[in-house]
Amino acid sequence: MTFFEDQLGEGVFQICYCKNCNNTIWPSKETCHICHNKTDWKKSRNIGKIIEFSKREFMYFGLIEIDDGIRVLGDISSTSTPKIDQTVRMSVSFNSKPNYSFIVENN
Amino acid sequence: MSKVAIVGTGQTKFSKDDCDVEKLLFESASNCIQSTNNCDSNNIDGVLVSTNNNLKYLGAILSETIGIQPKISHSIEHLCSSGTNAIISAYSYISSGLSDIMLVSGVESATNPGQVLRWDKSRGNFEHPIYWASMLTKSHKRKFQTTEEELAIVSAKNHKHAMDNPFAYSNEPKTISEVMNSKQITDDLRILDCSRSCSGSSSILLASEEKAKAISDQPIWITGIGQKTTSASFTKNILEEIKSTRIAANSAYKMAKIESKNIDVAEVHDAFSVCELMAISELGIAPNGKSGEFVRDLFNTENRMINPRGGLIGAGHPLGATGISQTIEITNQLQGKSNKRQISNVKTGLIHNMSAAGTSSSIMVLEN
Repeated sequence: MTFFEDQLGEGVFQICYCKNCNNTIWPSKETCHICHNKTDWKKSRNIGKIIEFSKREFMYFGLIEIDDGIRVLGDISSTSTPKIDQTVRMSVSFNSKPNYSFIVENN
Repeated sequence: MSKVAIVGTGQTKFSKDDCDVEKLLFESASNCIQSTNNCDSNNIDGVLVSTNNNLKYLGAILSETIGIQPKISHSIEHLCSSGTNAIISAYSYISSGLSDIMLVSGVESATNPGQVLRWDKSRGNFEHPIYWASMLTKSHKRKFQTTEEELAIVSAKNHKHAMDNPFAYSNEPKTISEVMNSKQITDDLRILDCSRSCSGSSSILLASEEKAKAISDQPIWITGIGQKTTSASFTKNILEEIKSTRIAANSAYKMAKIESKNIDVAEVHDAFSVCELMAISELGIAPNGKSGEFVRDLFNTENRMINPRGGLIGAGHPLGATGISQTIEITNQLQGKSNKRQISNVKTGLIHNMSAAGTSSSIMVLEN
């Protein structure tokens, strides 16, 4: 398991970035592909916005943009139909693959 | 660069059942060699196999099974566009002078590992292509007011075309209504909007200009090639666009010295209905934002210009073989050998293939 995956298992989405050139590195890796210095980590704010969504059976899912323009696919919990650009709160876990879950704020 | 021609083609029927990959490879390669004018197999000095299968050393295995000892043999994998990329690689070997005659064979078993890109951690639990396809479809509906019926027409049209393709996995027609009422996968995707992973194999023989005329009475020339990769991660895409297709198309048109209006027939990558609508727009074949209307008009006038063999939705999608079957269809169209599928007065044809939600595209222009 990678550090990123380990941390997802602890419920933390770690953002990989390069201190030297101030770039966010996604997908995360140990070395910056621009300046080749060792990368560093910072915790996500766990806040995102809905870029697009659909629904399978009773579950909404969609493309969410979180910190620094990183986008992931995850499930969306909402009592009503989600909206584009709506703010969502993220929780994460890891069980053989990443799981990104989002709840619409002020549901 | 010296000219390169397509001088032989061979296929197996596509099937929903898992089949023996080595047997399929041999069958399509054998059909391909037999389609030529007495091409001595020993003159084939390169063998490329395109596949997502995990079996190893297939280039050498195919060479041995057809009884040759080529200079060059290896496999090529690039998800859905593996076959097109293998043809382009063979083109490069020949045009550079490293090879004179190359056999390119694509193969897949129905349960191949090429449908899910595990590396892409941004997909989370939503690894299967139906999820990115749902995002693209919803986004296309939102931006271009694309209707469910326009999406269904893509599938109905391609199923109709596949009825006349003896290599398609199914020859059953599907009406617009049947597509629209087929099993709902997500709010934005029906089962008949999806291509089906299949077993199958396709082979093509390429030759230098010097060798081509001895092997084929109707060599078909590869006159344009364009390729572009923008990322591997789906989530780096702009949902409403297939940028890689647009860039690759411009490169291919420039190399062939043509414009999109010169394309008489095209095989485009319709892994899902929305992909065909997006592709014909990015290729400049349909006006931007009008691809739904364009496909409706094709369907109503029984114009087979787009995906005459039935596309991936109608014919099936054995990933490593798909790009080669697309190329065989355009070759046959340019040779006037497409039987019931034949379009009249074909001079210029195009093959569009792409991988992983359009993060990489490969395009070829063929002329007779």
